[in-house]
Amino acid sequence: MRHNDAETDLKEAFRREIIADADAQPSIEVEFEKARGINHIEIRSGFSGVHVLNLSEPLMASRLGVLDAIKNAKISIDFVKITRDGLSFIIPGAEHDNAKFTLDKLNINAEVRPNEAVLTVHAVNMRDEEGLVARIVSEVIASGAKIDHLGDMHDRLLMVMNFDDAKRAEAALRDGIMKESAE
Amino acid sequence: MKIKVMKFGGTSVRTPEARMQAALKVLSAKEQGYEPVVVVSAIGRRGEPYATDTLGDVLLSVDPTTKPEPREMDLMISCGEIMSSVIFATLLKGLGCPSMSFRGGQAGIRTDGVYGNARILGIHPVAIVESIKRGFVPVVCGFQGVWVEGQLPGAELTTLGRGGSDTTACALGAALNADAVEIYTDVDGVKTADPDFVKEAPTLRKVTYDEVAEIAHLGAKVVHPRAAEIAMKFSIPLWVKSTFSEEIGTEIVPGKDLPGRRVTGVSHTGKLVYLSVNLASVTPEHRLEVEAKLYATFAKYRVNLYLTNIGVNSIGFAVARDEFPAVQDMLDALVLPFQKPETTIYIVQSSDKPSQAFETQLELLSPLGDIKTVPVSVTEGCTLVSVVAYQYLQQPGVYWEVLSLLHDAQIPVLQTSDSDYSLSVLIPESELRRAVQLLHEKFELTQAH
Repeated sequence: MRHNDAETDLKEAFRREIIADADAQPSIEVEFEKARGINHIEIRSGFSGVHVLNLSEPLMASRLGVLDAIKNAKISIDFVKITRDGLSFIIPGAEHDNAKFTLDKLNINAEVRPNEAVLTVHAVNMRDEEGLVARIVSEVIASGAKIDHLGDMHDRLLMVMNFDDAKRAEAALRDGIMKESAE
Repeated sequence: MKIKVMKFGGTSVRTPEARMQAALKVLSAKEQGYEPVVVVSAIGRRGEPYATDTLGDVLLSVDPTTKPEPREMDLMISCGEIMSSVIFATLLKGLGCPSMSFRGGQAGIRTDGVYGNARILGIHPVAIVESIKRGFVPVVCGFQGVWVEGQLPGAELTTLGRGGSDTTACALGAALNADAVEIYTDVDGVKTADPDFVKEAPTLRKVTYDEVAEIAHLGAKVVHPRAAEIAMKFSIPLWVKSTFSEEIGTEIVPGKDLPGRRVTGVSHTGKLVYLSVNLASVTPEHRLEVEAKLYATFAKYRVNLYLTNIGVNSIGFAVARDEFPAVQDMLDALVLPFQKPETTIYIVQSSDKPSQAFETQLELLSPLGDIKTVPVSVTEGCTLVSVVAYQYLQQPGVYWEVLSLLHDAQIPVLQTSDSDYSLSVLIPESELRRAVQLLHEKFELTQAH
């Protein structure tokens, strides 16, 4: 077959198959990307939150002192946040007493709060949906939840808060932005 | 039919020499028994005549006071890929390889109706399959599709937003049940760090879909997370390779194929500005509502937030430097009024010196109630450096190691953030190169493979 003939036939095939399908739903199609907005919400519980305040100057050296003590106690940590005069992070709930004992020995102003959770909001390609992170945070705060810390990945926003707050925030997101996404 | 989708980015089609290298890769795939389906980006980068950004800038310059309609912008910027596909198909034809170019719509790519950031709803690749059967190599425009349910008859052209050509390649790979999707670029694959900063950064032989998506999310320009997600969903073998070398490249694989704890690499974002909104003047009964209203305002104006941070007396976040003037404008003289328990009006001051707008609001609103200023402090010249790792960061001591390394090197850490796959630190931009090099060395990434 000469190329010109092939091109003519191909154009005819486009006309029949593609242009016609522009008005009707294509018959064979593969679905690809997940819908915009929130796809899924989950709560991971069983953490304790460590909040260290009023550390002495130089602050970064004091913060490192706290982290060093926690490391030596073989406690795994996550969601480290540098605060104005200290730091905060979460630990597995099972390490609550170990952390408290370790921090007490440092003679610093520290609090270990049980019942912390990580509220994870899955939203594909979140960074390119401009304003989405802010909208989620706004709705979570409006639900009355107090967010201790946030982190993000390409497809999810992670918020550390008290477990009861996480339940409340989850309900608010399901009733609000998630319902909207589904519609 | 053994199909291989081969995507060539802007640098791979930038010059006649580069296009020839890319074309030879296509011919080589054909010789190996594959039916290549080529996806191309626009030619070159911003400033070069046919690059996507340049075309956008041309339209923006028509009337600098008015933002063009997104529909018109999509039509304008999609021309770059159309030119590129026609040129590439003609080049292949000249090399004795029958080839045809296809716009996204002709390739059967159907999207939703969000101009500028459309999502692929489905692909009906009948024309592509037919062209292969008839002996052609299809060359498809990346980054575009059509919205078939618009208000006007016929299909509306849409563009896919950032990473659009990678997304086109992976979606076509899924629709065509391809044996592989290969993303061609100007580096040998996924590196452990930006080779401009760490010359000896090795190319990783394998990484997982999640790792590559996270590396891209944190600033490295490898494969866009959207594309990685499609490849993961359809289990398509995905590769990142260089147009300009014969290196094997990096294979992107499912997590189950690459078990074990490891550090993948060190990424960095572009230039950021960190803003801290001081809420010390906000009364406790208004605090949550003020926070919620501020974030709702960011959402309304589609501000892309990095490193969101809620403190005892402040909220903090970073924005890309090019977005900063708009964000500062948006915050300046923002009024947050409350009537209970008594009339209190908060006015945001977003720069050191009160602006005219701020002073006018202050003057006009003072008779109405108690006025409180909410100052914003701005730290310019920041950037985010991230260690991307799998099942590693939560081990005891890793945070201490990273922070003490930077502390010992006298690199100030302004804030931290983390996730299941990464630990990020906000540092002064001037320290970026040193921080990347130190972290790369600390985790012995030169030995990575």
